[in-house]
Amino acid sequence: MNQPKTRRDTWGSRLGIIMAVAGSAVGLGNFLRFPVQAAGNGGGAFMIPYLVSLVLLGIPLMWIEWTLGRFGGGFEHGTAPGIFHSIWQKNRFIKYFGVIGIFGPFVIFIYYTFIESWTLAYSYYSLKGVLTGLPDQAALQSFLKGFQGLEKNAFFTDLGLTYVFFLVTFFVNVAVVSYGIRGGIEWLCKIAMPVLLLFGIVLVGRVLTLGTPDPARPDWNLVNGLGFLWNPDLTALKSAKVWLAAAGQIFFTLSVGIGVILTYASYLSKGDDVVLSGLTAVGVNEFAEVILGGCIIIPAAFVFFGPVGVQAIAKQGAFDLGFVTMPLVLGKIPLAAFFSFIWFALLFLAGVTSSVSLAQPSIAFMEDEFNISRKKAVGIFAAAAFILCQPAVFWLGRGVVNELDFWGGTFCLVLFGTVEAILFAWVFGIDKAWEEIHHGADMGVPAVYKFIIKYVTPVFLLIVLGAWFVQEGLPTIMMKGVAEADRMFVFGTRIGLVALFAVLAILVRVGLRGRQRRRERERI
Amino acid sequence: MKLAGWVFFALSWFLILGLNVFCFIKVFSKRVIR
Repeated sequence: MNQPKTRRDTWGSRLGIIMAVAGSAVGLGNFLRFPVQAAGNGGGAFMIPYLVSLVLLGIPLMWIEWTLGRFGGGFEHGTAPGIFHSIWQKNRFIKYFGVIGIFGPFVIFIYYTFIESWTLAYSYYSLKGVLTGLPDQAALQSFLKGFQGLEKNAFFTDLGLTYVFFLVTFFVNVAVVSYGIRGGIEWLCKIAMPVLLLFGIVLVGRVLTLGTPDPARPDWNLVNGLGFLWNPDLTALKSAKVWLAAAGQIFFTLSVGIGVILTYASYLSKGDDVVLSGLTAVGVNEFAEVILGGCIIIPAAFVFFGPVGVQAIAKQGAFDLGFVTMPLVLGKIPLAAFFSFIWFALLFLAGVTSSVSLAQPSIAFMEDEFNISRKKAVGIFAAAAFILCQPAVFWLGRGVVNELDFWGGTFCLVLFGTVEAILFAWVFGIDKAWEEIHHGADMGVPAVYKFIIKYVTPVFLLIVLGAWFVQEGLPTIMMKGVAEADRMFVFGTRIGLVALFAVLAILVRVGLRGRQRRRERERI
Repeated sequence: MKLAGWVFFALSWFLILGLNVFCFIKVFSKRVIR
């Protein structure tokens, strides 16, 4: 196949793309969601379905996305519509399915940057000693609600400061992507990821040396805290819910099914390895999740709140654990402000390396399919994203963020992952796919993966998609649990999302057609 | 923590640290991006 000469940006080093993909994957979920999922789904036994899902779902999907991305990049397509069209040129509709690969990351970006800005603000308040000076859980809850604009209280009377932190975070993201792949994203991730891992190791070191801080409660010690998370409940393995939770965790933690890895890998050359690089990115993410994430929040909370307290806290959800419990825990140890800063700075770095990756597909789409400059593409993206961020900022308590997270961050991911796995193994064809994976590979993929990628991964994904749709999808679509007063906001968000999808679909049609015409003119 | 807890904890660490050591040794022993 004739491939056009490339004018696109490229990665400067292999470590750069590994750190960028790992940075995209390592997010707040590694440190907040994983420990809660593990503790609530069999403890140590959760690692069995978790590792099985990693081998059968996570690693194959990672290789699929790296390979498809590099393949599409060879045709100067950096996003799913063009990449899917290159794979299945006879099908006129597949490019519209690829719209999800731009829509999903864009929608996540809209609310993710806002949440990311909380971690920046909390880093600042940690350094100032404000957070660790708050006496109890109720005070921290009140501080968080005031900061989010959910209530007016002694800490915050309006959203002014919250908005300043949001603006700073938004500006940082736009500034990074405006410098492109090599000068912006790669530069950021090569600095931020080692710092993030170092902060994580420092925190793990501190938690593992907590011992028994309260001699009056000898059972509330670190070893029992680790036991709370890791003691296996093997009966949990009989539960389909536990297996689904593990598969979901693997899916969401690796950033597969979003479209981001496709875009990142599109900046590789055909001779660049994807097998070893993809596996290394998985390894870094798992290090952050299991080694770091599994040793910080739950054991630390156990030591100070005991088994009953930590159970109650875990039920309040991952956000409360991170933004309420952790400052409270860290407030009880020496150098509280420093460790609290380290914790929130770690979350901010995890957030920013993810959010820049969410911005890139939209920018790459405009650059590749409309042939416009990076600066112009970044400007258009920033303007559109900034306007669409506002409902997430001002209507947080109205269910807008939950709705965006459901469609952009959950539904689209699972659906997109399932379709791309089927496309890769069945439309592209497993023999061609196998050959494509191994172009320039620095290690062979075990032969059993030919069978896994063709049969096991797609079937596994279909099961996850179906079960998830029944368990969580239907109740959310039916607005179960949404307050009557919030229904209009949720409905409005849905209408907005449909409109956004339609606009993107039209742009895909116009962009791909225009590009075809440009190519024909160039040939003449 | 029970013995079984330690086993799951140690095995998880071993597998994940092992994966990282294996990958990074290979990454740094191979050529950089082409």
